[in-house]
Amino acid sequence: MKPSATQILGLSAGKLLGEILPQLPTQFAQGATSLVAFLLMFSAQESERGAEIRVNENAAMRKLFAELAPLVSDAALKKKLEAAAKSVASSLQISDLDAANYELRCVLIALQIHIEDMQGEKARAAEKRIWQVLKDAAAARIVTIG
Amino acid sequence: MSDEISERLSKYLGAKFGGVVDVTGLARIPGGASRETYRFRARYKRDGKEIERGLILRRDPEASLINTERTTEYRAYQAFHKLGLPVPEPIALELSGDALDRPFFIMEEIENCTIGSIVSPDPYGPHRERVGRQFFEALGKIARADPDAVGLSDFDGARENSWAHEVQRWEREIDEDEREPQPIARAAIRWLKRNPPPPPQKLSVVHGDYRTGNFLIDADGNIRALLDWEMAHLGDPLEDLGWALDPLWSHGDIEHASGTVPRAEAIAIWEKASGLKVDPKAFRWWEIFASLKGAAIWISAAREYSDMRNADPINAFSGWYCLAFHNKILADRLSALVDA
Repeated sequence: MKPSATQILGLSAGKLLGEILPQLPTQFAQGATSLVAFLLMFSAQESERGAEIRVNENAAMRKLFAELAPLVSDAALKKKLEAAAKSVASSLQISDLDAANYELRCVLIALQIHIEDMQGEKARAAEKRIWQVLKDAAAARIVTIG
Repeated sequence: MSDEISERLSKYLGAKFGGVVDVTGLARIPGGASRETYRFRARYKRDGKEIERGLILRRDPEASLINTERTTEYRAYQAFHKLGLPVPEPIALELSGDALDRPFFIMEEIENCTIGSIVSPDPYGPHRERVGRQFFEALGKIARADPDAVGLSDFDGARENSWAHEVQRWEREIDEDEREPQPIARAAIRWLKRNPPPPPQKLSVVHGDYRTGNFLIDADGNIRALLDWEMAHLGDPLEDLGWALDPLWSHGDIEHASGTVPRAEAIAIWEKASGLKVDPKAFRWWEIFASLKGAAIWISAAREYSDMRNADPINAFSGWYCLAFHNKILADRLSALVDA
């Protein structure tokens, strides 16, 4: 089995930090090299889970729109929510998932503004539901060093 | 390249100091993405006496010729160096591109010191408490300083509603630089506007980027230089405290401010040095603002990198690691407010 992109990127980062960086003569070269190594680590993480993060995030937004559309009184927004809830990305390539994510985030922002302006318990519950989706998305996108 | 810059620097400083200045050992050092930073040694005679000293050159990058920030940074160095804070002595400010193609300034080099990396779990080791006490005391002194008395009362910033001025500033950055919609940052902006903080206890010079990674310590844990004043402005002194206590600078332990002393102790040191009080409700606002400001800076950094205006890896790092971090902090803090 050939090495995976995740493995190549991770091992390359380790090589840079552990073997190449200490040989470099200047502080500037060492600093820039450590940053490049960190970027390789992030890329390794992205390679492994980038598509899954986007698929899950997009699915969570679509589910949210389907749930909250009945609460929305603005007809145009409601129509957008219903359409976005049924939308699909054109492929599983990161660029296509990102394009879908872009459209869904636009709808999410419009929905959140609408819900924040609404009164009542249902609106507050919806607001919490939106924040749960945002919290989950933010947590999933955290990258780590090491 | 280094030889050419050395030669031109030598010529520039010779004209400035009035004599021959020998420039040696010019080497680029890490200094963030906004400026090219170099260290060098200058040897010259003054009053018949031979002088040799280490100096730092901070030159604008090719993509930017914004003079205002350069002037701001230089003037802040001048003001707080005079006030006796650990700030390097500024030597020369050149706004034209005549000498080195782009604007730059020169300041003294504080030698034999280190900077605490934000990714290090324990950057100050046995000196963490000593560093923390100095760090928050110095910040209190900056807050205490009278902008008129230190000659910085014309700095950018609003005398009334400084919170609104700052929110607008960073909202504008996001408007200009976001490549994809930012629901968390947008929700934070709406919350900040709907829940304004009380007026500041006083108008202060705000450093603008007072945090771990922007100061130098020596081997005994003495803070020798407070750096990177390019975002200095007038405003509520709680802005700097909120930024200094932001979790991104906590080295993985948010109970210890900037990887140093416990948060409550940091706040107490700041209160004593500044003569001000920290209203928890107002401070909560400035903490959320700090994370929003961070998100805005990282969104801009990501844009710089993606558009190839400045492909320094620090911009990619900031736009990836730091933005993800601040989005999570904002989401956690704002959702907690909704839950409450």
